[in-house]
Amino acid sequence: MASFDVMPDTHLYQPVELADALELAARHGERGWLLGGGQDTYGWLKDRAKNPQAMIDLNGIAALKGIRETAGGIEIGAATTLRDVIRNPTIRNNYGLLSDAASRVASPQIRNVGTVGGNLVQDARCWYYRRGLSCYRAGGNICYADGPDAMNREHCLFEASRCVAVSPSDTATAMVALEASMVAASLDNERIIPADKFFVGPDTHITRMTSLKPGEILTAVRIPAKWSGKRFYFEKVADRDVWDFALVSIAVAMELDGDTVGETRFVCGGVAATPYRLRDVERAARGKTLSEDSGNELAALATRGAKPLKYNHFKLPLMENLVRRAMRG
Amino acid sequence: MSNYKHIGKDFTPPDLLGKVTGKARFAEDFRADGMVYARLYTSPMANGRVTNIDTSGLDGMTGVIGVITADDVPAVEAPNAAILTNRPTFIGDPILAVAAEDEKTAEDALARIKVSIEPLPFAVDPLDSLVTGGPNAREEGNVFARSSEGSGFRTIKWTPEQIAEFRAGKEPTGEFASEWSYGDLARGFADAAVIIEEPFVTTGYAHMSMEPRTAMAYWQNGTCFVYGSAQSQSFWMPGLARLLEVEQKDVVLISEYTGGGFGSKIGAYPLAGLPGWFSRKIGRPVQLRITREQEYYIGSARVGFQGWMKLGFAANGRITAADVFIVEDIGPNATGGDGSSAGGAVSLVYDPEAMRFRGLPVMTNTTPRGAQRGPGQNQIAAIMAPIMDKAARELNMDRVEIRKVNATSNDTTVYEDQEPVTSAYMNEALDMGAKMFGWETRRNKPPRRGSKVRGIGVGQGYHSAGATGYDGLVRITPDGRIHLHSGVGNLGTYSYASTTRAAAEVLKCDWEDCVIHRGSTEENLPWSSYQAGSNTSFTHQRANYVAALDAVDKLKQIAAQSFGGGADEYDIDGKRVFHVEDSSRSMSYAEAALQAIALGGSYSGQTWPEDIHEVTQRAVQNLAGSGLIGVAKDKLPQNGVIPGLAVAFTEIELDLDTGKYEILDYVGIAECGTVVHPQGLAAQMAGGAVWGMGMACLERHVYDPHNGLPANIGFHQCGIPTYLDTPLHVRTGAVDLPDPQSPFGARGIGEPAMGCSVAALTSAIADALDGHIFNRTPVSRDMIVNHVAGRGQSFQTLQTNNF
Amino acid sequence: MDIAEFKRDVWGREVLLGVSWDLLWVILIAAFLFIAIHALIKAAEKRRQSPTADGPRVLRHDALDRTFHWIMAITVVVLLVTGILPIIGVNFAWLTIHWIAGLVFTAVILFHIVRSLFRKSLKSMWISLRDLREPFDAAQKPGKYSLAQKSMHAGVTVLTLVVIVSGLVLFAVIDTPWWDRSNALSEAALGWMFFLHGLSTVLLVGMIALHIYFGVRPEKLFYLRAMIKGWISKDELVANHDPEQWNPGESS
Repeated sequence: MASFDVMPDTHLYQPVELADALELAARHGERGWLLGGGQDTYGWLKDRAKNPQAMIDLNGIAALKGIRETAGGIEIGAATTLRDVIRNPTIRNNYGLLSDAASRVASPQIRNVGTVGGNLVQDARCWYYRRGLSCYRAGGNICYADGPDAMNREHCLFEASRCVAVSPSDTATAMVALEASMVAASLDNERIIPADKFFVGPDTHITRMTSLKPGEILTAVRIPAKWSGKRFYFEKVADRDVWDFALVSIAVAMELDGDTVGETRFVCGGVAATPYRLRDVERAARGKTLSEDSGNELAALATRGAKPLKYNHFKLPLMENLVRRAMRG
Repeated sequence: MSNYKHIGKDFTPPDLLGKVTGKARFAEDFRADGMVYARLYTSPMANGRVTNIDTSGLDGMTGVIGVITADDVPAVEAPNAAILTNRPTFIGDPILAVAAEDEKTAEDALARIKVSIEPLPFAVDPLDSLVTGGPNAREEGNVFARSSEGSGFRTIKWTPEQIAEFRAGKEPTGEFASEWSYGDLARGFADAAVIIEEPFVTTGYAHMSMEPRTAMAYWQNGTCFVYGSAQSQSFWMPGLARLLEVEQKDVVLISEYTGGGFGSKIGAYPLAGLPGWFSRKIGRPVQLRITREQEYYIGSARVGFQGWMKLGFAANGRITAADVFIVEDIGPNATGGDGSSAGGAVSLVYDPEAMRFRGLPVMTNTTPRGAQRGPGQNQIAAIMAPIMDKAARELNMDRVEIRKVNATSNDTTVYEDQEPVTSAYMNEALDMGAKMFGWETRRNKPPRRGSKVRGIGVGQGYHSAGATGYDGLVRITPDGRIHLHSGVGNLGTYSYASTTRAAAEVLKCDWEDCVIHRGSTEENLPWSSYQAGSNTSFTHQRANYVAALDAVDKLKQIAAQSFGGGADEYDIDGKRVFHVEDSSRSMSYAEAALQAIALGGSYSGQTWPEDIHEVTQRAVQNLAGSGLIGVAKDKLPQNGVIPGLAVAFTEIELDLDTGKYEILDYVGIAECGTVVHPQGLAAQMAGGAVWGMGMACLERHVYDPHNGLPANIGFHQCGIPTYLDTPLHVRTGAVDLPDPQSPFGARGIGEPAMGCSVAALTSAIADALDGHIFNRTPVSRDMIVNHVAGRGQSFQTLQTNNF
Repeated sequence: MDIAEFKRDVWGREVLLGVSWDLLWVILIAAFLFIAIHALIKAAEKRRQSPTADGPRVLRHDALDRTFHWIMAITVVVLLVTGILPIIGVNFAWLTIHWIAGLVFTAVILFHIVRSLFRKSLKSMWISLRDLREPFDAAQKPGKYSLAQKSMHAGVTVLTLVVIVSGLVLFAVIDTPWWDRSNALSEAALGWMFFLHGLSTVLLVGMIALHIYFGVRPEKLFYLRAMIKGWISKDELVANHDPEQWNPGESS
């Protein structure tokens, strides 16, 4: 087995205008690679597990950076660093769920260069897939992580379809909870995609994590004012306090009338290939008061329909516990 | 604190500046004219046979210089590791290397080589190989027992029923390979008030050296110059010469800095010989840099244990009998020996009145194993701590008290032969630690806070910490400088420097007048022990001490020859040798050095003691005539086991909802004789603590049993603790009582510094969970969550190398 | 262009992944070229008097056969849409629909096989020596089915059996309500199954294209009507078939 760690030959484009980037993205299609902070990119490329013919560096495009308040909420440029998202006072004050989630991404060093767009569109974190095995997600015919003896501690509980990898993104759960929409631009079009349609499971597209098409660029994320200033809860349980991906995370946005719960969004990370909405919990939460008892009641609904694998059933009590914690007053 | 001039005082090791300024040169940073870059092709199969190597894809490639395969290097006898092999026995076993003008071309070339390998059955869990009909890791057998009576392959199989009983926690009844014992075990158990019987697992994991093992080599007039990543310096020479099939005099090793070895670079490992062979083949200097991934394949790993133990405790807490059985996961190259060392650690740390150890080293097709910080001692420390706690609970004793009842002291006799110890102050260490930590107060734990519970733990670490018989070499030059030649190797502990301070102490000179020579054979270095096994402090203080004594003796003789009288009438101080009654009859070290050169003979290295090692002899030959030479072999009296001991106390707050815990406080106490270098010791204690924290809850090998692939081949996947996983401050202290068999009282400490940490944590986790013991390292988050939720664990009992 | 797709896996082996989907476009282009040429030739030919649909009618396909045909047609369309659209970039959750449709398809094919075995209709599809003379003898008319129809059926039969068997094997290793997916098959075996499944699918696409084309050709349109309504006229029977070979009863 050859093992690689030197950057292979590829073309590097560094456009400064979005239009040029879109033209490049259209030209290179599936053979192109959009470069944000590069934190998920360089591993793939240096390992030669992915071999794009061109890298399109988006970091020089001013239009993709920055956080803007809009009439309907806020818009975050896709190439904005996670560090800037965390430090933004508007996000911190009104959409604290996102700053909490962003501040738990990877490590301080990675957050300094990693972008919000990159965090949202990052690839699955199955160790079999990342080793370069020709599994379903890599275009093959098999899932190595779903064998009877497979080492699948980090894999999914829900919505598996041949592939059992999970969504690794911390900010994605917050985006789904906040009902964000993604702005996907292409040479001749712009699509606004709701967050829960943006992330796609293996049943829909087994080799991609999002509904972005080749040639499209995620330019911005729009967060509506609907959830501004509401009650939020974010927690990520990982092996280590830094660097590791979530074993299970939870992002909750909640309307409260006193202690009584109105509309809510409960979204778990690390349990499915997309941010996983706990719809039963959301329905049952309405009208409940924040308390240990209602937490216990809702916890039982959290894992309905879960199909644990050999090494990941600890995620069931973990999910339930996180729902309980979110409901504590 | 001692009253020495140098011993016990902080100083700045000379390599430090290079490390903090980035000027330090590691093996990868060296270049030679015409150097080419080699990259390695390693086995994708856990066990297999290379049937064909097709390099036709390289035809016409620009910049490719050559390919080297197993046919170009010496064959070795199984189970030893070869430089390159056609019979790979683990994923990552090196098969060939390709050299090119630059690294990218070398990688491009690698991608074009097609290696056909016939896969063979493999095992990634020793018990899978041990069961009847299970695969053997090597065709020759599944067990390789090394012993002084003879080593060899065996095939040992247990029936499925025997395996099932072992898994169920019953005493193993299957065949084993080694045994030792002392005392009356049956009587010990008969006398016991409480008997505890537990199965246990410690999962192996990578050494995780920050610097992947790079080597560069070229030949010049028949001498091979090797720039390597070496943990030891002089100790590498015989092995390196053997690897290259040349005489030791024909090898020069340059290793100024090493980015971690932790036991994996103690001796010359096979890959260090590859550039030499490749360079010989293609006639160009060759640098082989391996990838991080390959470092995880080749870079060695801790031996895993699957074991059973039965301990008998008298009503007062004294251990009356200990019966320990360990199946060792010794990888494909049958490297380890951790099992018996673990037994030895039980004997020394807990001093059972009677004890038996039985071991069975089973090979697996996993990363080759090697000594890793506290090999054996630290695994068993992690397992023993919660078991001791369990006994204390059953006997209604304090957990520190039960350790004190069994603590090793100056009177303890240890191991199979019940040897004495040079000195041991475990009780004093426990008292000091308990006081610093506030054990008495913290025993009254605060009440549960939401889902968070507190746990306090105490752990003990041990490793034998010294050796004898190595050489020291000092030199005084006519400019008055004191040259301290250190063959120890620069692993990062600074002991290559701190041990030379023994010579400075004897020579009563200022540190500013001393020059340390190290890092290259060409610096003329004496024969030294390996820079491992916590032994350098003890061993090389002695070696430097005897060499300095030799120099002092020669100074006095030269003075006596110049000024009359007997040498014993002279003394030294202030870089002068003088008559004790007439200070006018004196000369400076510089003058004495000139005189030594004039006198020749042993004074300036024209002759040397016959008993010094050939490495030292060559160094002295090279230095002859350059000054006054002090050289000697350490023949100071030595009797008994030299223990390095440490204890740790820790408090954690564990969240029952998430299985995560925070380490609120950590106190580590060293019991390593006299403190030589306080900052160095504190760094060792803190570094060891962090490593123990990783072993306790994060680090482990994971292999897919279906295809043999390792899951963790990078820093991220291996889960080493980070700053945010460890306490901001680690408090440390030292008992600081001198060892009588060390000239300045020092023993080593490196390994116990980690053992006490992992033990304190497994103890604290059990305490937080009302005494529940997992009998396994690491105790991962999921295990805690499953336990609290009342769910079974994902793995079967005694399963290893799994999530 | 390759027929199959391979990947060199981490063990250094060439693994068969399945059919090369480039083949789909080749087959489609070939089918359309054939259709175009055929249509041109037919257009250039002198228009013959079409038989009238009026007058007495005979039964060509009974209701059960017609139902079978159209259920099969629907499942085939569903299978092709769910199987091929994701490959050409239209992504949706296709797998569950695909295997359910596959099971229906398998059931109707089994029904058809069993029904054919127990009725004499098997003979009507059998290609005999006489049929082989058909292209060379303008005077010779076929029985119920022409040589072209029989050949098409034979080809479709083989491909259908291959697609069903390979599909069932693949179905056995995915998650279903009755069992969990497994890695019981090696990658090599899976590669072969995907290759056979894909290859037969691609060839079936070509066959179906031709089938539809011939189904809607003006001179053959009465067959489509027969597949919808069941009958053809006596006139159409006489013009296209040899009553000695096939003499159906009157249709209501």
